Amino acid sequence: MSYFFQIVISGMVVGSIYALAALGLVLIYKSSRVANFAHGQIIASGAFITYALTVWAAIPIYISFVMSMVITFLLAWSVERIFLRRLIGEPIISVIMVTIGLASIIDGLIYLTPFGTKNFSFPTFLPPEPIAFSGVSISWTQLVGVIITIFLIGGFSWFFKKSTIGISMRAVSDDQFASMSVGISVPGVFGLAWAMAGLSAAAAGGIIGNITGLNFDTLHAFGIVVFPVVILGGLDSILGAVVAGIIMGLIQQFASGYIDGNWGLSGTGEVLPYIILLIILLIKPHGLFGIHEIERV
Amino acid sequence: MAAKQKSVKTTRLIHLMLTIALVIGLTSYADAAGKVYKLGLSLAITGPTSDAGNPYAKGVEDYFRFVNDTKLLGEDKIECTIRDDQYQTDVTKRNFEDFLDQGIVFYLNYSTGSTLALKKDFDEVEMPVLPASFHAGNIEGSKYIFLPIASYSEQTILLAEYIVKNSNGAKPKVAMFIHPSAFGRGPVSDLEKAVAAGLNIEIVEVVEHGNDLDNTAMLQRLTSKGVQYVLCQTIQSPVATMLKDAARLGMTAKSFGEAGKITFLGAHYTGGNDLIDLAGNAAENFFWTTSYTVTSEPGPGTDAQLELAKRYGRDNKAANSHNYANGIMVAQVATEVIRRAKEKGLEINNKTLYDELNAMNGDKAYQPPTTVGAVTYSPTDRAGVDSLQIYSVQKGQFKKVGEPLTSEYMKKIK
Repeated sequence: MSYFFQIVISGMVVGSIYALAALGLVLIYKSSRVANFAHGQIIASGAFITYALTVWAAIPIYISFVMSMVITFLLAWSVERIFLRRLIGEPIISVIMVTIGLASIIDGLIYLTPFGTKNFSFPTFLPPEPIAFSGVSISWTQLVGVIITIFLIGGFSWFFKKSTIGISMRAVSDDQFASMSVGISVPGVFGLAWAMAGLSAAAAGGIIGNITGLNFDTLHAFGIVVFPVVILGGLDSILGAVVAGIIMGLIQQFASGYIDGNWGLSGTGEVLPYIILLIILLIKPHGLFGIHEIERV
Repeated sequence: MAAKQKSVKTTRLIHLMLTIALVIGLTSYADAAGKVYKLGLSLAITGPTSDAGNPYAKGVEDYFRFVNDTKLLGEDKIECTIRDDQYQTDVTKRNFEDFLDQGIVFYLNYSTGSTLALKKDFDEVEMPVLPASFHAGNIEGSKYIFLPIASYSEQTILLAEYIVKNSNGAKPKVAMFIHPSAFGRGPVSDLEKAVAAGLNIEIVEVVEHGNDLDNTAMLQRLTSKGVQYVLCQTIQSPVATMLKDAARLGMTAKSFGEAGKITFLGAHYTGGNDLIDLAGNAAENFFWTTSYTVTSEPGPGTDAQLELAKRYGRDNKAANSHNYANGIMVAQVATEVIRRAKEKGLEINNKTLYDELNAMNGDKAYQPPTTVGAVTYSPTDRAGVDSLQIYSVQKGQFKKVGEPLTSEYMKKIK
């Protein structure tokens, strides 16, 4: 039975990290209807900034983790201010193309640093022994990752539901012209959405980097890995990202634990989430929690 | 008028003679200054696998600079153009074609994918090629590709043989953990052939990894099937994540073959200092094989490697990388064939260098300082260094396990 529960725990851990990594994509889409193809690069940047502050500047990792979120918040806000604000009102595809270009620019900048071509790992700061209970174990890194994920997702959910700025952001998402007519700064909302996406990406980068080690290819790949999570959850739903992340994590782990290696099958943990994604999208084309907009002509 | 015309003719004649003298003078000077042999290298200095490609490029660059600076080829020089292809085969092909236009006499390639894709191109232009990929399939159906060291297949089979020799007669249960590509899959069928030829292991499962954040389910599954050994043929990052998970779950063997635990082993690109950087303490007792010497086991070869890195201002990470050693070695082999052809008074071109490579055997085998055995090639043997050294991580460093070995079963299945 511990075999089963271990898979459940691992699936939940992986799923919650997927949810956090997906959050940045949701935040940007929610406010501006843009899919950010530079998200993986921002995740990697957050991880590298945390490492640089921790190892090179000798700042305790707890502080450098928060500092990297603040720095990435400002960087992402600057990116929106410099590159994307002038595209407000332009076709969405133009903005998406700019995010693809942005990914190339960030790639190039990271390749100018040692992080582009070298591997690093964070110094050990948590107990190496896992927490074990009835044959089920979870590492401290994973546990702390899950706690940070819950905290951040909870915080963002509260922010969007209760705070004035969060409600403004939802209003912009619903109707930009109506929002402007009541005095909401649409460009300001876009900037804030990018900044918050940067913050959450930095957190995801720090957590993933602690689990996998710091390898640029591995880290920026997560920007693409979480796309199915965002699509499954509904592109503009934070709750959807959480639920879809956990579904994906559980499917991967259960496929790997119970299907792979049997009946000549292998790698189903990689494929099955996409098959289930397709099936769900056939039934719910806007994802599990996505808003189905009805246009009256 | 006639006197004036005569004067113009005389002036023209003098100009002509001066021009001829100048051309002859310049030609003689050029001969005295030596010849320039052009080589090309296309590889991933950035992009996927650049953690291996970057130090590899530095090794190649530094060794050729050393050749020119210390006049190892007398007044002749090697000009090796190194281009980044970002691990994209179409870019590699473009680079190779451009190198051909430049008149290269020898080519250094990198990835498995591009080596397989350009195999026919190499044959068509009869260009000798040393890739950084040790995929056994590279040399199938091609006369011009030479593997620097034993293939991934040979490395994997040798590790399996080592498992058998150290498992007290019982039939060890082995799983393979491989990259989802030709690079990763290459050794699977060869290991299966070795088992069919009598190698006493049971291949329980072949796992192709993805971008895994957690390998718990996979490791539990393997344990439930009684797997004692996992043979890895991939890059360091997924191995590091798996090792961390195994350590967390208490599954890692503390000594080779410890009962009820898993011993992890891997081929060339799974190991090295990058694995330790990524996996930290979880890399302890990881067994790794390669034909290169490593700086954590100092010797004349690694001293020369570190000296070269110091001479050209490389950082510690590059200097201590086994892929830096790998780059140095292929540059040394290329230099050696040029030197041998030159010594025989042959014209240096792709054909003479190809012949020199094929003659590199017996008493003409070449011993680079950074490998654990000699490079031998012939028309029927296109894997350079046949010996493989097994290392294991002990207290954060790769340490030798015994002496260099050669695979017994690889010979049987050839």
